[in-house]
Amino acid sequence: LKILLTPNVRGNGYFPLSVGQAHALEADMEREFLETACACRAVICCRVTPLQKALVVELVKQHKKAVTLAIGDGANDVSMIKTAHIGVGISGQEGIQAVLASDYSFSQFRFLQRLLLVHGRWSYLRMCRFLCYFFYKNFAFTMVHFWFGFFCGFSAQTVYDQYFITLYNIVYTSLPVLAMGIFDQDVPEQRSLEYPKLYEPGQLNLLFNKREFFICIAQGIYTSVVLFFIPYGVLSYATQSNGVPLADYQTFAVTTATALVIVVSVQIALDTGYWTAINHFFIWGSLGTYFTILFAMHSSILFNIFPKQFHFLGSAYNTLGQPVVWLTIALATVICIAPVLAFRFLKLDLKPQLSDTVRYTQLVLQKKRKPGGRAGRGVGGAGVASGSTLGRLGRGGSRRSGYAFAHQEGFGELITSGKNMRLSSLALATFASRHSGSWIDTLRRKKHANSTDKTR
Amino acid sequence: MKNEGEAAKRPDNTAFTQQRLPAWQPILSAGIVIPSFLLIGLAFIGIGIGLFLTSQTIQVWEMDYTGFEKDSPCFRCTILSNQNCTCEVTFSLSTLFSVKSSYFPSDCSPYAYDSEKNPIVPCGAIANSIFNDTFELYQIINGTKKQVPLDGKGISWWTDYNIKYRNPSSVNSSFAKSFDGTVKPINWPKPAYELDLTDPNNNGFLNQDFLVWMRRAALPQFRKLYRRITDGDYAAGLPAGNYSLKVHYNYPVLSFDGRKKVVFSNVSWMGGKNDFLGIAYLVVGSLCVVMSVVMLVVYAKFKFSDDDDDA
Repeated sequence: LKILLTPNVRGNGYFPLSVGQAHALEADMEREFLETACACRAVICCRVTPLQKALVVELVKQHKKAVTLAIGDGANDVSMIKTAHIGVGISGQEGIQAVLASDYSFSQFRFLQRLLLVHGRWSYLRMCRFLCYFFYKNFAFTMVHFWFGFFCGFSAQTVYDQYFITLYNIVYTSLPVLAMGIFDQDVPEQRSLEYPKLYEPGQLNLLFNKREFFICIAQGIYTSVVLFFIPYGVLSYATQSNGVPLADYQTFAVTTATALVIVVSVQIALDTGYWTAINHFFIWGSLGTYFTILFAMHSSILFNIFPKQFHFLGSAYNTLGQPVVWLTIALATVICIAPVLAFRFLKLDLKPQLSDTVRYTQLVLQKKRKPGGRAGRGVGGAGVASGSTLGRLGRGGSRRSGYAFAHQEGFGELITSGKNMRLSSLALATFASRHSGSWIDTLRRKKHANSTDKTR
Repeated sequence: MKNEGEAAKRPDNTAFTQQRLPAWQPILSAGIVIPSFLLIGLAFIGIGIGLFLTSQTIQVWEMDYTGFEKDSPCFRCTILSNQNCTCEVTFSLSTLFSVKSSYFPSDCSPYAYDSEKNPIVPCGAIANSIFNDTFELYQIINGTKKQVPLDGKGISWWTDYNIKYRNPSSVNSSFAKSFDGTVKPINWPKPAYELDLTDPNNNGFLNQDFLVWMRRAALPQFRKLYRRITDGDYAAGLPAGNYSLKVHYNYPVLSFDGRKKVVFSNVSWMGGKNDFLGIAYLVVGSLCVVMSVVMLVVYAKFKFSDDDDDA
């Protein structure tokens, strides 16, 4: 007996139990079958051949704009696993055939919930943030040359030092975004499991679509405008405090490059929502590395060894020793970052997403709980989270179970007696069918439960 | 149901592999964002006022002297203002695109060799186009001209003078001989070893004017430091009165529609006159303050309406 769940579940209706659905998969019947199936909450297809399983998945893939996932444990599930967008294999008593054909594999069916709600969601979030930031920083970096072109006769002269161009993407800005892409979490895992509705942005493609992409690009272009024209405006007629003018190419290059690195570092600091020690190390380390390499490359030691390569001798010292240059960099940073900060704050206030609310609630709860001792942050911390269901999850023996109803008596007796299949594979977790109603009600219930509950 | 084999296949249960690392999770709460905007706004306004006032105290006088006949040796100009400041003289050049890639020191073409295949020293287009107007400044006192001494020391970067550029060592104690086998750049009136015959520390490649010119400018309009006025009777600055600036007009700019200006300015801790920075700081500071007020209003409205809903 295998259960095929489609993402588009609607209504609370009936559950057709189709046996021998070879007919349903014929060309003239297949659309009707699909429409009927999608009108139901769950569909059970039993006594199906591997080919038919694959055909059902194929049907959903072709006609519905949905991402399909197929999970199975036996060799007869391989074709279904291969057909679906995501194939999940269960390694266990029926061998490892399914595992070898799958994209993800684990040992128990109930881990599917974690795969989707926790890891899948985090993965989507990290990927979207990573992509947005990557486009932003590269546009900010490259478009400066576009603006400079108007002033240098379009001679393709670079604004920055050659070595900065090489090292920018590899050394100065790669590690912080990598750390964000690996460690970022917006909501802790217990909450992800509690609020399955958090999964919706992934299904609706909300975090990185055309609109978000253009916003990233626009932000990058705006940053490049600021990073070019602020130094241009300040340095064109500026001089050092001893009268030597600051308008030379190398000073301009160092100022713009330093401002760029600082602005994109502040931006990744804003984007990172989960600061582990590694994030701290990478972000501050990248900034420190930039200044170290800058001063090293502009030093006389390297110049004496390779005079043609390192002809920026003395620039860093002359440039960064001027207060005017630091004032320029500070100004450029604030002009780039302040609108982003204001926009994010207002968005958080006026249109908070579910993840924002959950995150806020979680952090407020943590602050309240802290005086009472360390609580509730570990995985399955047994029973300390007041009023939430995670304690019960940690102790094992979940109270949630899946049900298959039939109008008539049907084959229930046959199934539960264990005569035709092993009882162990009946351990199925649902996708939080417990939480009915809107998430606001759930949240309110929890808030009231917390205020009246004592920690257990 | 757990035996030794299964337990061994389990993934590590460390904080790192199970994504349980202790972390700081900031949220953009109103208590942090609004005060920080206000603080930054006020700080920027303060800095902006300081910069603007400093900039206002700096006196600048500039004059465009392009367009005079090439063979007119001198002209008269009179300054009729109350000037009492310590100054440097700078000349200013516009619409010369000096940042072409062929100016890279490693590639001297097409200014590397002359028609007889002799190497040009110093080579390259930047060196060839060195600015060669010179100036003499006189104060007119009771009808007689008194020369104002102009100091040309230390107008280039210390690193340029001491490390980056070096003269070839003299051959048979003659500096000129070390340039044997080379020719001067095409547009130069004199070869490099005759740039300043009075001071051996200012001759050849270590000539300060040469170094100043070789420091490539970033933008089509740029200024370069010519001289400082620091010595003698004018150490405290140029007193009010009439002055005459004698220009030896050599540099041709009309072919590319360039303009030449001479600028007198005094300097402060932030350099020369720079209104842009002060004004930019004031504008950004005020915008930040305005934004913080707007965010406060929005937050208050939203918070109170939210409380009303709950109640």
